[in-house]
Amino acid sequence: MENYRTEKPVPSEELDFVIPQIQRFELENGLAVYFVERHNLPILRINIVSESGIKFDSNDKKGLANLFSMMIDEGAGEYSALELSDEFELLGSNFDIKCNSDCIYFSLRTLKENFERSLNLISSIISDPHLYKEDYEREQRKVLTRILQLKDDPDEIANMAFDYLLFGKENRYAYPILGYEETVRNISSGDIRLFYENYFMPNNSALIAVGNTNRQELEEKLNNSFRSWKAKSINEIPEPMPNDQTARKIYIVNRKNSVQSEIRIGHVSSKRNIYDFFPKMILNMILGGQFSSRINLNLREKKGYTYGASSNFYYYKGSGYFIVSTSVAQENTSNAVKEIVNELHSIRKGITPEEFEFAKSSVIRKFPSNFETNSQIASGLTRMFIHQLPENHFQTYLEKIRRVSLEQVNQASLKNIFPDQMITVLVGDKSKLSSQFAPESIVEVNENGLIF
Amino acid sequence: MNLLDIKYHKCTLQNGLEVILHSNENIPVVASNIWYKVGSANEKRGKTGLAHFFEHMMFQGSQNVAKEMHFRFIQEAGGSLNGSTGFDRTNYYEKVPSNFLELILWLESDRMGFLLPSLNQEKLENQIGVVKNERLERYDNQPYGLAWEFIISNLYPENHPYSWPTIGFLSDITSYTLEDIRKFFKKFYSPSNASLVISGHFNLKKGKNLIEKYFGELPSQNSLEPVKALKAELKENKLIIHKDNVNLERLYLGWHSEKAFGADDAPLDILADILSGSKNSRLYKFLVYEKEFAQDVTAFQYSGKFGGHFMIIATARPGVSMSTLKKNIFRILEEVRIKGVTGRELLRSKNGVKSSFIYSLQNVDALADHLNFYNFYLGEPNSFNYDLNRYEAVNSEMISKTLEKYLTKPYVELQIMPKEKKM
Repeated sequence: MENYRTEKPVPSEELDFVIPQIQRFELENGLAVYFVERHNLPILRINIVSESGIKFDSNDKKGLANLFSMMIDEGAGEYSALELSDEFELLGSNFDIKCNSDCIYFSLRTLKENFERSLNLISSIISDPHLYKEDYEREQRKVLTRILQLKDDPDEIANMAFDYLLFGKENRYAYPILGYEETVRNISSGDIRLFYENYFMPNNSALIAVGNTNRQELEEKLNNSFRSWKAKSINEIPEPMPNDQTARKIYIVNRKNSVQSEIRIGHVSSKRNIYDFFPKMILNMILGGQFSSRINLNLREKKGYTYGASSNFYYYKGSGYFIVSTSVAQENTSNAVKEIVNELHSIRKGITPEEFEFAKSSVIRKFPSNFETNSQIASGLTRMFIHQLPENHFQTYLEKIRRVSLEQVNQASLKNIFPDQMITVLVGDKSKLSSQFAPESIVEVNENGLIF
Repeated sequence: MNLLDIKYHKCTLQNGLEVILHSNENIPVVASNIWYKVGSANEKRGKTGLAHFFEHMMFQGSQNVAKEMHFRFIQEAGGSLNGSTGFDRTNYYEKVPSNFLELILWLESDRMGFLLPSLNQEKLENQIGVVKNERLERYDNQPYGLAWEFIISNLYPENHPYSWPTIGFLSDITSYTLEDIRKFFKKFYSPSNASLVISGHFNLKKGKNLIEKYFGELPSQNSLEPVKALKAELKENKLIIHKDNVNLERLYLGWHSEKAFGADDAPLDILADILSGSKNSRLYKFLVYEKEFAQDVTAFQYSGKFGGHFMIIATARPGVSMSTLKKNIFRILEEVRIKGVTGRELLRSKNGVKSSFIYSLQNVDALADHLNFYNFYLGEPNSFNYDLNRYEAVNSEMISKTLEKYLTKPYVELQIMPKEKKM
């Protein structure tokens, strides 16, 4: 066989990649704008991120921020809810609103020719939403049914129980986005109006624009559109309470007739904007962050227990956690848990130079492909805003990765992975799971993570 | 539209491999996308799921690439990769920094030409475990996860190639042997049964030479037996009731429809969008928004090489009966059949199609797959404008007529009900 068949080809010339320039400015109302100009296609992407997520919900009204995010485009300015949606569709623009623990996110994808028109619709939504009672009641009923529906999904149940058991009831990151049936019933349409008045403002938000326009044109259009959205005094951002770690237990949510077990293993970890973000990123690449990682290769390619297994350091603005997730046939549950814990012990003993070089190479070379679509760039900028990353984040990214040493990665394992402090959540048929674990290590909980 | 006029270069190698090249120098990444003209429609009963399983085996290494190294080499280069299997085709795709083009051509050609020497029993058994779990995770353990299987097995006759699920039946998955894999490879994984698209940042001449170097010498088999697809027709309505681990009842209605790019294909897509594609769509507005009979409603059409089906799916709110949903769905269909749709509804749908085409040009990998898609069904990769014009040409009368032609025929009705009432 020819050499070119048996030997891996080497890459051709080095790449020439120019990192897009980020332009920063503020609108007259104080809204921070991050802008990347791109002229390859006649399209634009706008994200508006507002720090008014569910972490602001009080205990008896969990689900309020989410309901607000569902309500804000149910009619605004001169348009009813149906008319608003009709206007966006006629333009071929996609408009969407999402809510999570930290923030509410608006996103718009539009053709350049319809940019101004789409922007005017968003302007109405943001500065003059109707928030009518009858619309509210409809959305509230929809959420209540959705909460019921989520209880069918083993993946959702596992995440919900895990979040609660991980952070504990004093922590604002412990709660599901939609809230609970009781707390959602407790929310009135007046609460939605109050939330809008108190938490939704330009001075805790940012607008991210990527696409085919220029700075001057953009600034002018944005100032025109958002003039009537006024700055207000910012509510104190609640500092998340420390979690009372009830660790080392195996929590089982009984789902009768399951044919698989959902597995979540993890513990609380540091938030993003601190010194060892990059070593942790390399560490997770090796441990469980991609297909060729230790955890996936062991559980999938060696043992055949699962379709996929992964680990992740997840970052909220005010906290973070480490998690390993997978789902396996029920009879392999305890074996899979054992293998995961083994991998966590083993990574603390150190990584090999080959693994280190592989992970670094992968992250460095992937960098240009993070800038392919407008929405990818916009997501990058959104993260910059949420985690308050330095403005030169993209410019210094590769250098920061290159500077990470093998020793720093090993230190990151020792400081961030604690196999003996993990909580384990299993969702499956209890009758088939209990016998696989020592009886004293098992605690049964409900779908919300509450102990029976 | 000029923007959608995608310039490309196409040629066929001596061994029959179709090659389509599209150069786009936006950012320094390049994508490879191969379609093998084999999907679950080419399987036989007793060995369902083999096309998908085979896709898994393609990632298990080949003669010059050790197990796990296919993934590893591409990830080391900062690339991404995967594959997927449908009724009609199996695709494999990678996206890498443009200086690694040769790497992906080397990897793809090695498994196209030299997969069999590296096969062994251990890999087979390992992947049977993985695919069993894939089925459990994505279908058996999912709420409503088996609906698809019930629908197609009742809608299509037993010998029709779309009558079994692409993932395959569990008992079939556990029965695969190395001999099955070898036969499947020899039969379907010939260069003459595939098309390769390279899209992104690369030099056309250099790309062509590299493709010739890696793929040109691979031998082809050329005796494919054509798939026999009998005309699928339902003589009467069928009702299936299935109890599942769910809180809410869900109704599925399925009709036979049109083949991909057949005359009625585009009107049926637009109809589906007008029925459920937005807040103002007919079914959503009435069932979800105004009456709150349903939590959600979806209408869509699947059209393939050997047939198509039109589906309407609605999840009932607690306390709302299946017959209320069904009655209202049929009433709304009847309204569209008699009165047609408005100009505004048509415009909304058409503008949605047009802009989604333009948005989709951002990814070189999505574009590569799209070129292969058009090449497979139409024989012409540069068909965005042709495709768009099909949708632009749809009018109210066509919507009414196609609705009458397909959705007044017998249908399959599936009701998924809670095993136990939890409320």
